[in-house]
Amino acid sequence: MAGTGGNAAIDYIVRLVDIRKTYFSGDLQVPVLKGIDATVRRGEFVGFIGTSGSGKSTLLNILGMLDVPTGGEYFLEELEVGGFTDVEQATIRNRKIGFIFQSFNLFPHLSVEENIEVPMVYGRVPKKIRRKRALDLAERVGLGHRLGHRPTQLSGGECQRIAIARALSNNPAFILADEPTGNLDEKTSDEIMKLFHELNQQQGVTIVMVTHNPALGPHYDKIIRLRDGRIDDTPFNWEAREQERLAKAERKEAAK
Amino acid sequence: MMLVRDLFRLSLHNLQLHKVRSTLTSLGVIFGVGSVIAMLAISEGAKQAALAQIQAMGVDKIIVFSKRPPVDGKSEGSNNASVMERYGLNDRDLGNIAKMDNVARITSIFDVRKKVLKGLNRTDLKLIGCDYEFLHDSQSKMEKGRWFSPADFKNNAYVCVIGKNVKRRLFSIGNTNIVGSTIRIEDAVFRIVGIIDNKYGTQYPEIGSQNDMILIPMTTARALYKDYTFLREGRNFKITRIEYDLFLIKVADTSYIENTAKRVTGYLEKAHSNTKDWGVMVPLELLMQMEQTQNIFTIVMGSIAGISLVVGGIGIMNIMLASVYERRKEIGTRRALGAQKSDILLQFLIETVFLTSIGGITGIMLGVGIGSAITYYTAMPTIYSAWSIVLALVISSLTGVIFGTYPAYKAAQQNPITVLRAE
Repeated sequence: MAGTGGNAAIDYIVRLVDIRKTYFSGDLQVPVLKGIDATVRRGEFVGFIGTSGSGKSTLLNILGMLDVPTGGEYFLEELEVGGFTDVEQATIRNRKIGFIFQSFNLFPHLSVEENIEVPMVYGRVPKKIRRKRALDLAERVGLGHRLGHRPTQLSGGECQRIAIARALSNNPAFILADEPTGNLDEKTSDEIMKLFHELNQQQGVTIVMVTHNPALGPHYDKIIRLRDGRIDDTPFNWEAREQERLAKAERKEAAK
Repeated sequence: MMLVRDLFRLSLHNLQLHKVRSTLTSLGVIFGVGSVIAMLAISEGAKQAALAQIQAMGVDKIIVFSKRPPVDGKSEGSNNASVMERYGLNDRDLGNIAKMDNVARITSIFDVRKKVLKGLNRTDLKLIGCDYEFLHDSQSKMEKGRWFSPADFKNNAYVCVIGKNVKRRLFSIGNTNIVGSTIRIEDAVFRIVGIIDNKYGTQYPEIGSQNDMILIPMTTARALYKDYTFLREGRNFKITRIEYDLFLIKVADTSYIENTAKRVTGYLEKAHSNTKDWGVMVPLELLMQMEQTQNIFTIVMGSIAGISLVVGGIGIMNIMLASVYERRKEIGTRRALGAQKSDILLQFLIETVFLTSIGGITGIMLGVGIGSAITYYTAMPTIYSAWSIVLALVISSLTGVIFGTYPAYKAAQQNPITVLRAE
């Protein structure tokens, strides 16, 4: 294992060591992540919570290997994925990470079954196995009867279920969900969270969820709060955060 | 290759999703390919027709003909007076050419230059004296009746064989008693013994097609008309003296036909002391020349069709670029789900090639339609060769590859982070 000391016995899915990300625009340097240390263990349900501007999206992109950090190390199943080529990154995204998006990002012209199969297509899984797995997964998310439908014929909650099935299709190391309930009403949102729970509890699926919504807090095994590109260790106080945010907005307004 | 199959299905989906747009996009290719197919069919048809014409004259023949020499300043003054004009091939030429190496046989033709009338109207039909071998050497067939017999030549018989157009021009349709009936030309009456048909309608220089000829035995022609033509032009009489109008020279060995033709030309230049009152034509050379001009024609037409394909291709590139922009979110999602850049590239490339190939197939149908319409309305022959269809298919898919590569590359280079953010 290429671990940098300690705790090799613990089965980490994700280990972030001093992850930094600075954007350069001309001479201007904009540090977005200023040293993030975090871990996700196998079977954990972890929530990254942060307001917009906290570096949450950047961290999501780095976790999802869509972006590379400018500093620090990212271990995925104890494999340091820093210097990977584009092809290797794509392969890891395909095999190890199950993406779930806020707006589902299903392909409208493909059937439910074909949608679930997409990651397996890129994983070069034979059609026969793909079909069988798609059926299994659709049943697991409670939509086995909808295989032939188009996403446009489904409700938002059903779409997100399909997206979850799709994310699971290559048996990834972990599910990376970006505001998965952001586009759903409260009731559907609860159902989706329940489904995540079931997957986590009953089937041991590791889930990393990135959200701005602190109300989802109780669902997580572990909450990692982000604030200005750093991990916020202070006890969680949403009201204080909210006031701070408002104050910031006012300052901004005043500055104009 | 499993992926390619999936991508094929995917692109089909995508094209179905945008039926109108796909159709409009591929219009350029459809018309480009359509014009390629129609152009090739027309040019192939014209080529075959001309080929048949030239072959009908015979690839083993050298044709030497008399022609009126270009008028020079001296004779202009005598235009109003009655004159005697003498030019063209003569007996001496016939004898000397016949003696040359590689000359197997010469068939000669003499145009009597008599007016052939139908009722009171003058026709452009010609009264021609010819040799016995003319039937064979002009590659004609008897449509009805018989060819001249040796006895006809010996007896200077007043018999004639008419071309199939003559039959149409002089006799009413449905007249079945043509063979055996008579034609009167000036003072002479000829009995029709046969009808000749040259299915190619071969046009000989200066005297035209044998389908328009009334043929009589050469001996009869000489006995009746010698080699004088007496023509009245306005108030003046004009005598034209031509001994022979055409030699059909059959060579023994076609591979030396060029040399033989050169020798004939050289001889005539000397014998006629630089008066250009003759011409030499070698069908085989014409054939090769025609193939050359045909190639040039094909290249020119091909370039025009090529331009329309380029325009069509640019149109497709444009639409595909717009499509890449429109589908950034799809691209980003695919990348997030594990698609490699090459997968995205392949997807868009296949889609473009699919589009242009379908355009190509539609274009082929359009081209065949245009060609058939042209044949129907203008009787111009069109020939669709298998290779032109294959060529059209190759060209249309190639257009897709050429003009699809850049948009596909653009699609593959999209940054998944930014495109995922796009709504």
